[in-house]
Amino acid sequence: MKPTKGEQLFYFLNESILLLAALSCLFPLLHVIALAFSDFDAVMSGLVTLWPRGWSTEAFRLLLEGGRVPRALLNNVIITVVGLVLSLVFTTAAAYPLARKRFYARRFFTLAFVFTMLFNGGLIPTYLVVNSLDLLNSYWALWLPGLISTFNMLIIRTFFLSLPDELFDSAEIDGCGELRTLFHIVLPLSIPVFATIALFYGVGYWNNFVSVLIYINKTEMQNLTLLVQQMIQSQSILEGLNNAPDAGQTPMTPESIRAAGILVLVAPMLVVYPFLQKYFVKGVMIGSIKG
Amino acid sequence: MHALRATRSWARFKRNIPLLAMFIPVVAFYLIFRYAPMFGYIIAFKQYTFANGVFGSPWVGLKWFELIVNDPFTLKIIWNTFFLSLLNIVVGFPFPILIALMLNEVRNMLFKKSVQTLVYLPHFFSWVIIGGIFITLFSQESGIVNKIITLFRDEPVPFLYQANTWISIYVGSGIWKEAGFSAIIYLAALTSIDPTLYEAASVDGAGKFRKIWHITLPGIRPTIFLLLILSMGNIMEVGFDHVYVLQNNVVYSSSEVLSTYIYKIGLLGAQFSRSTALGLFEALVGFILVVTANRVARRFNQSLW
Repeated sequence: MKPTKGEQLFYFLNESILLLAALSCLFPLLHVIALAFSDFDAVMSGLVTLWPRGWSTEAFRLLLEGGRVPRALLNNVIITVVGLVLSLVFTTAAAYPLARKRFYARRFFTLAFVFTMLFNGGLIPTYLVVNSLDLLNSYWALWLPGLISTFNMLIIRTFFLSLPDELFDSAEIDGCGELRTLFHIVLPLSIPVFATIALFYGVGYWNNFVSVLIYINKTEMQNLTLLVQQMIQSQSILEGLNNAPDAGQTPMTPESIRAAGILVLVAPMLVVYPFLQKYFVKGVMIGSIKG
Repeated sequence: MHALRATRSWARFKRNIPLLAMFIPVVAFYLIFRYAPMFGYIIAFKQYTFANGVFGSPWVGLKWFELIVNDPFTLKIIWNTFFLSLLNIVVGFPFPILIALMLNEVRNMLFKKSVQTLVYLPHFFSWVIIGGIFITLFSQESGIVNKIITLFRDEPVPFLYQANTWISIYVGSGIWKEAGFSAIIYLAALTSIDPTLYEAASVDGAGKFRKIWHITLPGIRPTIFLLLILSMGNIMEVGFDHVYVLQNNVVYSSSEVLSTYIYKIGLLGAQFSRSTALGLFEALVGFILVVTANRVARRFNQSLW
């Protein structure tokens, strides 16, 4: 069916507005990239819009020298990788028994866990618990209090429950214990849902600065997310980076260094994002089915 | 008979041993990091000091709650929390629906995919990034927005340093981050609408807007209702990160919310009991709101549990 004149106008307007929405997501990012790669004069004169002017990688050199930023970036990687593995293991350890009919008091435990989504101990009491366990200034303070996200646990449990009973029965008849069933039959079938959950956990750990702010006081242990946050909030850190006593060094604007910091933090996300897109859409769909 | 049952439950137990083994740390986690802090709320009724500990500190009854009710600044903060989150919901709620409806009408799949890729992206950025980007764009001296504004008028606008513009940026940045991603759930709901309805409407001579109004919107109405009710339930939750990354001292009195205030007086000011009392207030109101919201949702046959 050929679209009428009115419909053609509708499609044109619709797609124009969507294009604007998409560009509104793209342009701020391009602007930040442009600022990070422009030289001092161009940024000072305010000529930088969507592409770099007076190409310069000086901001990155300043940012990376002195070792504080590379160290913080490494901390981000450590926090994210270890946290991701721990969270996946223990979320599965919570979800799998709760999905097995033979297990005890499944309803009680599910309700007890869901209740913590609705009512929680809040910042100060949780801090006191972490403190009494002597976990301050240790990465365990970042990994343990958020070890299992009940929301993610429910997504995995719902997926496990959706697997046919016959699968478990036949595994049992073939002599599989619960662990073998989990590792050899259930997990290989669950790769897409695990990819989604891994994405949620990974992004959460990478982006987290609040726990680091609360629990980690040693600067050499803090992550880049917090460091960039501090760079945005206070000029003094930027100036500290800028005043490296390097003879004949060209000055950089705080805007460029800040932009470079944002880019270093966001770059890993931009790299993995295209590969993970198909998973998270699926994950949100699974999550939206109530379990 | 007894013996048979005993062997059966023994067999069940034996098969459950690996499950129990993996479940014990999970229970320990929930007890230590979820339930123990709830128990820690008792310090809201005590004069807590590190030296005396949770159990040794003396009881003070409702002292801290009286302090909250009698302190105008604390009441202002509670008001800010309500106001900002209500504004977030009222202004932000329609955007994901609009994006989903519009994406649904796109015919070119490549265009649709590209738009989706871009509008989902900000969801994965840390609030640090969002704050950094918005401060870069809107800063008074060097922001690109003010560079453009000063082409037309003399004075730049101090976006981040006036209460009303700060609030606009706060709400706007939230929409920028989440509107695209939140559209996914509506897109999922849209796929369940029977396409023959549209064909029938076309035969009856309905135009695009009539079809959207009479078929598409009613089709996703349950989802819209459910999400609206649930967001009402979360009204006490103004995320710490979102406010913290944008805040500055000039707009302090209109931007301070419960979560940031608890952090400042509790952790930085070491007023553990007073901030815990505020936290308990926040958690209780939040709990009541979520439960009420779910009651209402159940009336529409849509509930979380």
